[in-house]
Amino acid sequence: MGESRRLAVAADVDRLAEIRSFVRDAVADFGGSKRLAADLVQAVDEAACNAIVHGYRGRPGEIEVEAAVRDRRVEIRILDRCPVFDPTTAANPDPRRAPRPTRSGGMGVGIQLLRSMAGEVRHHVRPGGGNVLTLVHAIDGPGDEEG
Amino acid sequence: MAMTIDVERLEGNPPLAVVSLDGELDASNYERVIEAVRAAYQDGARGLVLDLANLTFMASSGLFALHSAVRIMRGDTPPDPDAGWGALHEMAADHDSTASNVRLAGSQEAIARVLERTGMSRLFGLDATRDDAIAALQGA
Repeated sequence: MGESRRLAVAADVDRLAEIRSFVRDAVADFGGSKRLAADLVQAVDEAACNAIVHGYRGRPGEIEVEAAVRDRRVEIRILDRCPVFDPTTAANPDPRRAPRPTRSGGMGVGIQLLRSMAGEVRHHVRPGGGNVLTLVHAIDGPGDEEG
Repeated sequence: MAMTIDVERLEGNPPLAVVSLDGELDASNYERVIEAVRAAYQDGARGLVLDLANLTFMASSGLFALHSAVRIMRGDTPPDPDAGWGALHEMAADHDSTASNVRLAGSQEAIARVLERTGMSRLFGLDATRDDAIAALQGA
């Protein structure tokens, strides 16, 4: 049993704050710690920003975010209608070098942050075209500041 | 949430700019930070304090802005987004952050974590407060 909620916004960097607020509130309501909320907010922002900047590239479109809790795990899905892009297999950075920060949260540091701040990241091609990125993380307690 | 940028000029040796960021730094507003730092440098500032005490979120685009600030305050051209992380690492390697003329003051825990995880914290002097950062730059 669980709870789920959904947000849809235009693919515009000016809407990222709304996406972050949605994720922050959802994780808090699901019983996650502030630290877990901050990590998932960071990961979702990077994923959504990538889709907006590198996927839609200024074309009109929509980003959907779904947040659900099941069996003490938070599951957040980011859905777009962009060309297929799988950040879980995109060029693995050379481990001896941190990836590069790129303009607008591009494919360097952003993907590293995305991977490091979600417990599990899965990519699927969306039926009808686009991407579904799923971030899963076990819920810690609000007082548990480990992460 | 919008982000506000406040710039304060401080005379002394070296002349400083204190740039305070309030809100959330993301892909919608990071270019304004780069512009503010560029304007401060052109205006004669040779040391920079980025006061992050009221910054609650920083995306990777914010890291790009911070990297640009270091380059601008070194008198270099701002980084080409495609120049590569290698250049950044070389800079970090040959640049003792304690001697850096860019200092970050008052980073909240979530921001400090992002700087640590990406290795960016090495590029900056880190201070608890803006006054500590000013003292570190002007040798007071």
